[in-house]
Order: sequence, then C-alpha cells, then structure tokens
Amino acid sequence: MSILEVRNLSARYSSSGPEILKGISFDVEADDFFAIIGPSGAGKSTLIRCINRLVEPCAGTIQFYGRDVTTLSGRRLRHLRRDIGMIFQEFNLIDRMSVMDNVLSGRLGYTGSVRTLFRAFARDDVQRALEMLHRVGLEDHVDKRADELSGGQRQRVGIARALMQGPKLMLLDEPTSALDPKISREVMALIKNMAQEFGVPCLCNIHDVQLAMEFCNKIIGLQDGVKMFDGPTAQMDQSKLDEIYAMEVL
Amino acid sequence: MSEQRQSEPRVTGTHAVAIQSILADRRRRRWVHLLIALVVAALVVWSVDVTVIKDTDWERMGSLASVIESFMRFAAIDWSLFPSLVEPAIETFMIACLGTLLGVIICIPAVWFGALNITPYKPITYPLARLMMTLSRSIHEIVWALFFVAVVGLGAMAGIFAIAVRSLGFIAKMTAEAIEDIDDGPVEAIRAVGGNSFQVMLYAILPQVLPQMLSVIVFEWEINIRRSAILGLVGAGGLGLVFFRQMNTFNFAGVTTVIIAILGIILIGEVVSYFARKSVI
Repeated sequence: MSILEVRNLSARYSSSGPEILKGISFDVEADDFFAIIGPSGAGKSTLIRCINRLVEPCAGTIQFYGRDVTTLSGRRLRHLRRDIGMIFQEFNLIDRMSVMDNVLSGRLGYTGSVRTLFRAFARDDVQRALEMLHRVGLEDHVDKRADELSGGQRQRVGIARALMQGPKLMLLDEPTSALDPKISREVMALIKNMAQEFGVPCLCNIHDVQLAMEFCNKIIGLQDGVKMFDGPTAQMDQSKLDEIYAMEVL
Repeated sequence: MSEQRQSEPRVTGTHAVAIQSILADRRRRRWVHLLIALVVAALVVWSVDVTVIKDTDWERMGSLASVIESFMRFAAIDWSLFPSLVEPAIETFMIACLGTLLGVIICIPAVWFGALNITPYKPITYPLARLMMTLSRSIHEIVWALFFVAVVGLGAMAGIFAIAVRSLGFIAKMTAEAIEDIDDGPVEAIRAVGGNSFQVMLYAILPQVLPQMLSVIVFEWEINIRRSAILGLVGAGGLGLVFFRQMNTFNFAGVTTVIIAILGIILIGEVVSYFARKSVI
C-alpha cells in the first residue's frame, strides 16, 4: 500500500518564472527508502519541499495517508508537518541552543505556545529526547551548544530532532553533502537503521550516486524538473545514469 | 593669452582639440569653485551678523573682564549639595533603566512589523512600523518629556515614558535589520516540525538576533542615562531638576556640582555598558 501518492506535481517560484517541476508522479510504499538523484538544479530540493509544503506546488496532488496535502492550511498544515520529519543539508540547528533543546524542538508541533515560551516540554518528551541522543551516540554532548559540535555530530542532532516527531515519513535533503565521505557513510547508515527500526519510509535527495545505490531500495531520477527514471535500485544502470546526468557535462 | 598657449605642450590634430577642451573645462570649473566659495562666505557673514552681532546683548555682557568673572562663578564646587544629590542621581539611573526596559517592551510590535521577512502584511504593517521608528527618533527627548509631563504630570513617570518612546526607534530599527539578515535554515527547520509562527520567532529567529539585540539595548541604556540626566529641566525628575533649581537660584557652584554628578553617573554607565556589551558579543 502506498502511503504517499504524488500526481502530476508542478512547481514554480513565481507565477512568471520557469517551471522547476514538470508533472512529477510517483508512489512511496511503507518500507521504501527512496533516493532522488539528478544534477544540481534538477528540482530535487523543490520536490521534497512540496511534500511538506515548505514550497507551494502550483499544480498536481499529493496524498499522504489519504490526506490531500495540497489543500491544507493553518493548524491542519502544521499537523501534517509534524508527521513528516526533515533532515537538512546544512543541519539547520539552532546554533545558540543546547543539543538537548534542539532535539526537543522536534516536539514543538505537539507543544503549545505558552509551554514553548517557558521551554516546559512534556516529561515524556524530555525522556524521549535523552533516549534519542543516546541512540545517535551523543549522550555525552547533551548540554553542549549545538555550534560546538562537529559536522557529523550536528547531523546526528538533526536526525534525533526529526525522529522526536515520531514521523510517518522522513524527507532528507542532501543529508550528507556537507560531510566528508567517511562520516557521510556513517550518517547514512544511522539514518537507514533508525528508519528501519521505527518503520519510517524515507525520501532522500542525494547527489552521490554511489551512496544512493548502496543505501536506497528505489531511485527517482530527475532532470530539469522531469522524472527520467523511477524504479528499484537494481534496475538502475550506467546508461540510465548517463542520461540523467547528461546535462551536467555542460 | 598667446603667452599661455606657448607654455602648453604642442600637439596637433584631433588630440590637440581634445586637450584644448579639457583645459577650457578646467578654467570653467575654477570659476564655478570660486563662485561657490564666495556664496558660502557671504552666507557665513550674513549668519554671524544676524545671530551673533545683532542678537547678542552686548551691553549686558560688558567687558572681557566681566565675562571672565561671570565664567569664574562656575569654577567652584558646592560640597554641601552632595548629600542631597544622591537621591536624584539614583532616580536618574532608574528613569534610564525603566525607560529602556519599557522601550524594549513597546518596540516588540515595531520590530515584528518592521522586519521585511516577518512583517504580517507588508503594504500596511511595514510602513506603520517605519513610521513608529521615525517618529520616535525624529522628536527630541526633551520634546517627548514636555509632552508626557503634560499628559501624566510632573515627575519621574513622564521621564520614563519619554525615554521609552525615544528608545523605541533605534532599538527597533537595529533589531529589525538584524532579523532581516538571519539564516533562514532554522526557520525552515522549525516550520518543518510543525511549529507555529510564534514558535518560529522564539526558536529560529530570536536566538539568532539576541546578542545583537542585547548589545543595542545596552548601548541605548547608556545613552538613556545622558538623556534622563537632563529631563528634569522640563520637570520630568532626576538630576536635571536639581540642575534647574541651582540655576534658578543663581547658585553657580551648585550647578557645577550637579554637572560633576551627571558626569559621574554617565561614566559609570559607560563602564558598565562597555563590559556588558563585550560579554554579549
């Protein structure tokens, strides 16, 4: 059963601007770890941001567990977002807050404004945050400021924050591009393990094809806003890759 | 004229024409400069004539000796006044502190409306915020104090309001500009976890601008000590009131004493401000 159905999705940043996405359709199943590959400027980030509406699509539909994502607004949009975890290329942590507060910020969707003001998170949330930090190997850095950590550690905080949401889907926007190759592999492995353990399907933008082939079971190939490939990793081969990345030679 | 030509370099053809026109330009510009200088000089002479020569009561000023004598009346310190200065000095301090605090509170809407990236409805809220900031800064604190004395009566409260309103503009402008420069990544992250706009401000925006904001507030507080020291001149409490009384009773040594006291607390404010700002940056 597919948990996410994207149909004919198009997006542009201004009404007169060029189309970034041109009629993309695909399905995500409950146990998928999808890689979205393609040259830079292909629309990978835009595609992923349409799913939690950080970017507004201009046409097409998105069904997430039967909810029509594209028509939501206000509180219902925020409730959709808290079901979708997101991990970013530049980590997007709150630098001046502690690691713990960053992880707890994953629960903001479940926390009222007054509680937020006093940072009075639910006792369960605090317990869970400590467990998550232990799981990502940061138990010794709980009270450090986020900007004191190394890149790999910062992304682990990002992973813990996303998992704090108890997400039903994870969006990964180039989660390893800011990291060196060895750390990249570790971080991808961590994300994959955690996703499997918590049973969260993932949609992962990635430009490192090698990593994509290694960690993902399905691949979408984007080129200039058009879907060029959609299928199991096993079906991807060099000639298809060459086609997807044909424009990058320029 | 012909002699001048001789001294110029001999070049022929189109190049010579170009050189001629450049030289002509330079001569013309010399005349323009001379004209501007003459106009400025005339304006200065006229201003001095109107404001200094005609507007000064020369007879009352008397001779140079009497001017020096008048000046020397200030060159004494009325030590007996010191004990009675403690309370107004503290009051001046408090007016500055409370005024700054109130200023920070009332500048919140101006900051929210005045930062382009978070303003709720740009065509209306943004100009409104800019208007608040401009109004706050373009009216002098003495004028604000006169206004609040008329509204809430004599005393420190009028001073506090005047300081608060006068502080709004600078704090709000600097903070709004800092917000316009923030990194959007954390904003995106908090929106992605399902945070509402209040949570975005508290988690993604405030931590990024807090050091700059604190620095601006401390800086403004330091300036507010200077401002509150003179607000008493119009009846809004503090050392200024004592200053005004000493002046009215022709106790010139007392005036000097109050000036020294004002200098003292300004110095304290500057030292505190220096260390406070160093610790937040």
